[in-house]
Amino acid sequence: MDFGRLRRVLAACALLLPLAAALAQEEPVAGGTAIVVLGADPEHLNPGISTSYPVGAVGANIYSGLVRLNAEGRPEGDLAESWTVSDDGLVYTFTLREATFHDGTPVTSADVAYSMNEVEGPNHGRFLNAYQRIAAIETPDERTVVIRLSEPYAPLISLLTVFDAPVLPRHVYEGTDPLTNPANFEPVGSGPFRFSEWVRGERVEIVRNDDYFREDERALLDRIIFRIVPQDVARSTAIEVGEADLLWGFYLPPADLPRLEANPDVQTWQGITIPALYFVFVNTQSEGLSDPRVRQALMHAIDIEQIVEQAQGGLGQAASGPFGAGFAYAYSEETDYRTLYPYDPERARELLAEAGVSDLTLRFVYDSARSAFASAGEIMRDQLRQVGITLLLEPAERAVMVDRVYNRDYDLSMQSFTSGGDPAIGYHRIYLSAEPGTPFVNATGYSNPEVDELLAEAGALADQDARAQVYDQVLEVLARDLPVLVMFDELNTEAASADLRGMRTLLDQRDGLEFLWFAR
Amino acid sequence: MSGASEAGRSVWSYVLGRVLNAVPLVLGVVVVNFLLLTLAPGDPVTALVGDYPAPPDYVERVRQQYGLDRPLPEQLVRYVASVLRGDLGYSFANRQPVATLLLERLGRTLVLMLTTVVVASAVGLALGVLAARRPHSVTDAAATGFALAGYAVPEFWLGQILILVFAVWLQWLPAGGFRSVRESYEGFAALLDHARHMLLPMAALSFRYMAITTRLTRASLLEVMNTQYIVAARARGISERTILWRHALRAAALPVVTVIGYNFGFIVAGSALVETVFGWPGIGRLMYDSIFARDYPVLLGILLLVSVTVIVVNLVTDVLYSVLDPRVRY
Repeated sequence: MDFGRLRRVLAACALLLPLAAALAQEEPVAGGTAIVVLGADPEHLNPGISTSYPVGAVGANIYSGLVRLNAEGRPEGDLAESWTVSDDGLVYTFTLREATFHDGTPVTSADVAYSMNEVEGPNHGRFLNAYQRIAAIETPDERTVVIRLSEPYAPLISLLTVFDAPVLPRHVYEGTDPLTNPANFEPVGSGPFRFSEWVRGERVEIVRNDDYFREDERALLDRIIFRIVPQDVARSTAIEVGEADLLWGFYLPPADLPRLEANPDVQTWQGITIPALYFVFVNTQSEGLSDPRVRQALMHAIDIEQIVEQAQGGLGQAASGPFGAGFAYAYSEETDYRTLYPYDPERARELLAEAGVSDLTLRFVYDSARSAFASAGEIMRDQLRQVGITLLLEPAERAVMVDRVYNRDYDLSMQSFTSGGDPAIGYHRIYLSAEPGTPFVNATGYSNPEVDELLAEAGALADQDARAQVYDQVLEVLARDLPVLVMFDELNTEAASADLRGMRTLLDQRDGLEFLWFAR
Repeated sequence: MSGASEAGRSVWSYVLGRVLNAVPLVLGVVVVNFLLLTLAPGDPVTALVGDYPAPPDYVERVRQQYGLDRPLPEQLVRYVASVLRGDLGYSFANRQPVATLLLERLGRTLVLMLTTVVVASAVGLALGVLAARRPHSVTDAAATGFALAGYAVPEFWLGQILILVFAVWLQWLPAGGFRSVRESYEGFAALLDHARHMLLPMAALSFRYMAITTRLTRASLLEVMNTQYIVAARARGISERTILWRHALRAAALPVVTVIGYNFGFIVAGSALVETVFGWPGIGRLMYDSIFARDYPVLLGILLLVSVTVIVVNLVTDVLYSVLDPRVRY
């Protein structure tokens, strides 16, 4: 028996006991105000016409969707009490709960149909993907919504959340232009919080909705203040000095994490919520990059671990392939990039020699506001130099970067994409053939009819096993062609006041603020 | 009597002339700003659509909605015409009239700027006088050293250092914002709360202008003190104090007044950085956000506002000249 080890374990238990006891005793307490940091003013407060992060952050807590995604990413009813799907995957029938908007008007199926047909269908970047496949939305009675699809679409349910298809009050919006309706600034939702006040550049305030339809989940806090802090250093400072209570990873500079972790008044968290990937696009139409062997060489020449450690503050896990670690059905051990393309400069040099490429000079274009991308670029420049490739760092302001990359005026570009909760929502667009010029769709110029066909099939299959088989074939082709250098799965982070509880009860960090409370 | 009213009339006709001259200047500013902005790379629609692919027909619809599908000359003519009608346009990103947005922010920036100008000018003048009274003394060296440092340190960096020292380490002052969000104060307590929030951004913003004013006052005062009429005043036995305050300073203040006016323009630019560092929700912050959103109407509105401010301040400076210096006549 190793007594030294036993002693250490016992000592650790003794230290943890009071903490465990304290946690066990904690009962949710009602009341109080939490201050949540936003990096920028929302443009408005209507998540039905925007995919913007701050709009979703505030809007998700004022509005409701048909469904919500729990912490594991599985759909649960939100305004929908239950739903059924026809065997052919074409007809979805939802039964609504009894709920009212904040102005007292009942929520009906007509509000759902109106929101999708008139507001989100034409105006929501992400919901559009589903809407293009919706043939009709029927409302046989006030509590029933029937969505008929023209073709099966696996991610449909994931796109019916408050972020993509919030249920807006028809009586407020009908007959107006939804883009300019004043309710976009003073929203009337059916969610756990009501809109209270918005001082631009300073804060948005929401207060508890005492008539919230989910009676056992009425908000614990009296109010939440979203405080606008544009500068990243100032956001960490606000948490440190107690001027704010919650800071999401989206706004938290990774470099500040060690400082926040060392502060006893602050709790930090790391993990994966909605899977997201960091990768390097390769312009396959650039000179010297059209040969897959060159792209494989690049993958071998880049030490991902070093980038994660030094550029990302350790917030990442080397990725297994084009769909990352988020989806078990979209993974295959045979095509795991970590075993196929380990860091191996020697192998990289061999592949480059095979491809007959030497003295390659590549332009690395990235968003200058993302300091982690700049650091990654510097590290890559050193690593690629060792295999004889010169990397020119070309930072560009975001709007310019988007123009350049999606018009394929670049060689390599670092990007990060969220999966949106399903590979078909977030990742298919990277690999599907497309003409240049559409932002956020196929920047690499890669085009493979086989991949197009297989991805379309995978997007339509609701059965996960059947889907897994199709993805297996896709993974095989992509692992060989390597149009994108997949780097790492993003580890999400969060910093909060030490006594804040109830975070991340739902999948999206911004959602479910009604569960927050203070242990004091 | 008649002489005074004559002089009064001439000042007013001068002001009127200057105002009339300013009109083509403002128009020129509008046109140049418009061209500079729209010709810069980057597309407002990309910023509007968010970070998700949108179908081309959606993008086209947004473009039409904001008139971005029209040829550039037509866009320019439409914009100038609407500015002449007093309409500054509609913000793409905020979906609000530009004038509403600007008015909402203007007050907060003006409070910060005016206090900064007053404090920086007063302290700068005082330090400059102190330094000039005994050139090459310890006081002078200290003031000159301070001025050198103030000139060299960038506002945003100083702002961050001030936050680190006074907000994070000492916890004496708030780290940002323009009032407490947790507490809602009323009346005098609210005023005090605002003042506390303003101390650090004001300090960060005023350091440079304090320095410029100190250096200029010192140099200008030293020059005046060596002129014939001061030497003559000394010979008449007038006390040093009277010479300094009544004769020398009045003459020395001329270039200082010019520079205070001149500083206004720079403070607007500086406030963009300081307001961003301190989360002060003013015009500067709005400008910073609008650049990233390629929100042309808002940017044009702010640039127009700044240009008009600079023109007005120049005019006021010139009129002040005539009050300070009897030799200046219009």
